[in-house]
Amino acid sequence: MADLLEIDGISAAYGRIQALSEVSLKVPEGAIVALLGSNGAGKSTTLNTVSRLVPVTKGRIRFAGEEIQSWASHKVVSAGVLQVPEGREVFRDMSVRENLDMGAYRRSDAAGIRRDLDRVFEYFPKLKERLQQKAGTLSGGEQQMLLIGRALMAGPRLLLLDEPSLGLSPLLVQQIFAIIERLNREGLTILLVEQNAAIALGCSTYAYILENGEMALEGASAKLRQDDSVRRTYLGG
Amino acid sequence: MSSSPLASAPEGRPGLPGAALGGLALAALLAVALPFFTTGYVVYIANLLLVFVVLCLGLHIVIGETGQFSMAHAAFYGIGIYASALANRAVDLPYPFAMLFGALVAGAVGLFIGALALRMRDIYLALATFAFGEAMQWVFANWDSVTNGPNGLRIAPARFGPLEILSDKQAYPFVLFFCLLAIGFTVVVSRSRLGRAFRAVRESEVAAMAMGIDVRRTRVIGFGLSAAVAGFAGGMFGLFQTFIHPDSLGFQTTILVLTMVVVGGLGSIWGAIGGAIVFGLISEVLRQAPQYQEIIYGAILMLFMMYAPHGLFAFVGERIREARHGR
Repeated sequence: MADLLEIDGISAAYGRIQALSEVSLKVPEGAIVALLGSNGAGKSTTLNTVSRLVPVTKGRIRFAGEEIQSWASHKVVSAGVLQVPEGREVFRDMSVRENLDMGAYRRSDAAGIRRDLDRVFEYFPKLKERLQQKAGTLSGGEQQMLLIGRALMAGPRLLLLDEPSLGLSPLLVQQIFAIIERLNREGLTILLVEQNAAIALGCSTYAYILENGEMALEGASAKLRQDDSVRRTYLGG
Repeated sequence: MSSSPLASAPEGRPGLPGAALGGLALAALLAVALPFFTTGYVVYIANLLLVFVVLCLGLHIVIGETGQFSMAHAAFYGIGIYASALANRAVDLPYPFAMLFGALVAGAVGLFIGALALRMRDIYLALATFAFGEAMQWVFANWDSVTNGPNGLRIAPARFGPLEILSDKQAYPFVLFFCLLAIGFTVVVSRSRLGRAFRAVRESEVAAMAMGIDVRRTRVIGFGLSAAVAGFAGGMFGLFQTFIHPDSLGFQTTILVLTMVVVGGLGSIWGAIGGAIVFGLISEVLRQAPQYQEIIYGAILMLFMMYAPHGLFAFVGERIREARHGR
């Protein structure tokens, strides 16, 4: 299948600190691709270069055939690349409903927006119960659901998920990943950043492993799960 | 497919209770009837309060909606006063054109300051805008050929066609009208797509960017709009005042307006309006004891920051709710 996202030799830096050097990866249309690595390896930075929150100093990023590495972040969102930022970045003082409305900020097709809202409620019935509640008062799991729901309201073609399992109980992690897999079955392409390598390798078809801002390893997820060094370093034996 | 129950869901704004509606109606009646039963002095104070309401709305847009600090609103207000007074003198058009000009000049300067402010946050932004405010006051006091410098500028009477406004009572209906116009404008902006972008940027720039909001543009526009509304308040000032002196456009005025907005309730339009009225009255009373004025402002501001950070009205509302629930 054609690649929806193609990152080709990108480098990025925070001030004088090199965060990524010549990282390349591909996300085929309709796939879940996992990006793994330890803390500070450059996983989130990679996502941030795609969503244009961090500038690239070198290399190319292609989305749906267009080079986007110099685009403004809002243009990337309009094109259908939606990032679910790490760290519960909900609009805390807004209601759940207002948060979901913010997801559709760049859209004007009222019928499509309503359809997507119904879809979000189908995935996350909890959100429908809490519609008027302030997002800051939701539990951690509900906030993660809201983040994904909010991104879905933008009608994405590619979802960049940043650590969706962070700080959630095992049961909630299972629930969230069941939804992620379902979204993918229904046609959404996903680039997934995770520290929880076991679960990420379980749901993805292909995976990349970053170490100190460089691509250390890549391969089919099923294969990486059997790989001795991966097992030792990321799967705890 | 069943139709979405959300299509008709309420927006989460509970309807005003009957008592509040009655109170509003009474206030409206009082506001309209005011010039008929009071002295010129009271009407003058009312005019001044209405100008402060608009000035607070301006500050509310930048602080309350976009979450950027500005310590320069006396400067934008002053730019509005001078620009509309000079425009009024230069061309023979009805006064609203002069007001519009004042708002536009202040708005343009606001856009420029907003663009500079993009690089700054919090205390740095507060300091930078403070410096700009001081610089503007210096300009008002020293640009003799335009502002008449430290002697102050005489403001020619506002004209509406054949009607020339020569008294506070005459000016009052116009001041009230423009104040309501500014309130309407602020409410419309706040509920618009732009208003949603303002609040999104205030709550989380990262999330706002992730939703496709152009954060930089939104912040600059917020600054510009805020300054334009403050400039418009300056134009309203010229409706009933005959004189402007740079001394009244300094840091003291900025602090007064900031206090009004914070004490009223940061982030709420109605808080800003209420704060302007309550605090405007207090400041008028304190005029009897000018040497204590700033100490008292400072104390009130500190007390509110400590005990009622969401403002006077939220504080009172909470107490009422608690009393109702018997706690």
